Amino acid sequence: MYLALREMRRAPSRFGLLIGAVGLLVFLILAQQALQDGLITSFVGAIRQQSAPVLVFSTDGQRTLQGSVIAPPLEEGIRAVDGIDAAGRIGQGTFTVRVDGDDATSDAAIIGAEDPSLGGVRRVDEGRQAEAAGEAVGSAADFSIGEQVQIVPVGVAGAEGPVLVVVGVVDDAQLQVTPTLFTSWADYEAAARAVNPEAEVVLPNVIGLRPAEGTTAAQLIVAVNATSEDADALTREQAATDTPGVGQVRQSFQVIFLLYGLVIPLVTGLFFLIVTFQKSASLTLLRAVGVDSRALVRSLLFQVCVVVVGGLVIGTALYWPLSQQTLGAITLRFDPAAVGVWSALLLVLGLLSALVAARRVLQIDPIEATTGGGGR
Amino acid sequence: MKLALRELRRRPNRFAVATLILTLIALLLTFLGGLLDGLERGSTGALRVQDADAIVFAEGAEGSLVRSRIDEDVRGQVAGVVGAEHVGGLGSVQLGARLDGRGPRDLVPTVLFGYELAATGLPAEPPAAGEVVADESLRSEGVEEGTVLRLGPARSEVRVIGFVADSQYAGQASLWGSLDTWREVLAANRPGARVGEGTVQALVVRAPADAPDLPRAIDEATGGATDSYTIDGAIAAVPGVAQQRSVFNQIIGVTIVIAIVVVALFFALLTVERTGLYGVLKALGASSATIFAGVLLQAAVVTAIASAIGITAALALDALIPAGSIPFTVTPPRLVTSVVSLLVAAVIGCAFSLRRVLRVDPATAIGGAQ
Repeated sequence: MYLALREMRRAPSRFGLLIGAVGLLVFLILAQQALQDGLITSFVGAIRQQSAPVLVFSTDGQRTLQGSVIAPPLEEGIRAVDGIDAAGRIGQGTFTVRVDGDDATSDAAIIGAEDPSLGGVRRVDEGRQAEAAGEAVGSAADFSIGEQVQIVPVGVAGAEGPVLVVVGVVDDAQLQVTPTLFTSWADYEAAARAVNPEAEVVLPNVIGLRPAEGTTAAQLIVAVNATSEDADALTREQAATDTPGVGQVRQSFQVIFLLYGLVIPLVTGLFFLIVTFQKSASLTLLRAVGVDSRALVRSLLFQVCVVVVGGLVIGTALYWPLSQQTLGAITLRFDPAAVGVWSALLLVLGLLSALVAARRVLQIDPIEATTGGGGR
Repeated sequence: MKLALRELRRRPNRFAVATLILTLIALLLTFLGGLLDGLERGSTGALRVQDADAIVFAEGAEGSLVRSRIDEDVRGQVAGVVGAEHVGGLGSVQLGARLDGRGPRDLVPTVLFGYELAATGLPAEPPAAGEVVADESLRSEGVEEGTVLRLGPARSEVRVIGFVADSQYAGQASLWGSLDTWREVLAANRPGARVGEGTVQALVVRAPADAPDLPRAIDEATGGATDSYTIDGAIAAVPGVAQQRSVFNQIIGVTIVIAIVVVALFFALLTVERTGLYGVLKALGASSATIFAGVLLQAAVVTAIASAIGITAALALDALIPAGSIPFTVTPPRLVTSVVSLLVAAVIGCAFSLRRVLRVDPATAIGGAQ
């Protein structure tokens, strides 16, 4: 160990460069893990935060809130299913809005629920739930309590849209990476009519259900789906994970993680293999003066651990400030579990990558110190 | 140069691991770039194929077709700038499509466009009522000429009469019909979004002659009631596209920095190993420039081989990925950019060895340094 540490101290640029490279790779992996988690939360956070345990989409909606429309006959059929304690309309649309009278406009997804316990937010992190007409709870990353959000009727000459006042905020509650407001069905309907005066009727996008006592969510889903092939009932969590795009995001990031995960042990392995080649004369001499080959392998593995742990520390140190940021509309988070899992995995892979170098150390023949072969 | 190439030929194992790492990095660069291209292509193809000079949205629509509404008055003002024959309406609606022979819940996501001025690859005259031209990607779903698709909960029937390439929108395959077909399907399936006669979501505008800054001229003519863009501007204005591009480019940038570090590390170690050999070469009259050129050549060859393998792997990945699972697209410009980036990274990485090569003393060849 003493020799291993001394060697690292005497070649700081060589080992520093490697630790820096591993640190950058670790940072990239952790940053992309945070990006993946933040992206998925921004896509479907609102579905996870809403209060209905079961959501019924129209099959045509392909499990997207805005794409689904529940026609009156389908709604009647859903409400008639046995095992329902309560059912409520939920509407969702993306609108152009103006916050606090600003000149600039922005986007907002508005979710309106007929029954706040079926489509409102389950909790607020600050402020209170919307109670009166014209009140809303907003996604915490985008809205503050007291803000007045006016719907802009795009392309409707001379029209004024309704105003929603933010009375509470909730974390991780965006939909489709868009600032999101939870309000009543009546306020949602008013917003939808303001932007399209030609609309004959405003239909719900999904129906929120609460199972009756003695009925599980799974049983209710089976019963609802049996009523019509146009009904697509899902639990809250299924609705979040089955949203189109979420699976693609996960798959894409998995390929990226796999490739980065392979590069780290290869870089470490390559480095120690070359260093072992370079030191072969010294290692042969050490073996000739009686140093046990296992001690030399331990030194090698110790250096690998120092390099990988150093890289993990640098990578995590770079990841920490990044994880406190917001990238556009995506809120990043520091995930200790991700740091732990990747640290363990990369340490194991790093040690495995040094096996080739370790094998070479074990193959050193001390006799070569007397023939000059150790330097080859 | 000759020596450098000969070493590569005679001792390929020495360079194998570095080649493998650079191959993975080349694959990563190509994959990241391919993902970015695939995402952009899938979400903006319908805008990219427009044979037009400007796309006009209602003011405040933020580049979103669904939120934009343009009535006949505004259309008239736009026509005043370029002439009525150079202005065409555009409308869209996203709906699931049912196909014969599929299960009742097995729908194909589509977006139906109504148009007046034909985009590239579309018939100049919009198809007759109930007929559409489909995006090529629908062929993988079994759609052929003559296939009838039943759109949305109302099962509005449209018959495919032809195909158009690269025209996806919002990650969905597009269908192109007349404005009347669009209005009818929209009203039947999205009663809350129906529009009246003469109202469209956007206008496609062709400039009759060279018109510098057409979008600004249109917005001025409508008194600010419109947000007009060039085609590239409209693509960049699609919600999420600019952010997506920025994030991916940052990841690609850091990956290139890692490639620089890997090349620097590998060739710095190799140079240290060959210090004695370089001393001999210098003692025999070789200049530092010649020796460094050899190192550079080796880096370039290793990188070129790694890029070739990486690109082959990326092409194989492209062929193996099932349609619709990952939005990955390999394009020649992306491949060229990845290879050039990696070669530049190799040259920069190699430059870290230059100082060591310059410091090699020919006296080491005769033991002067010992």
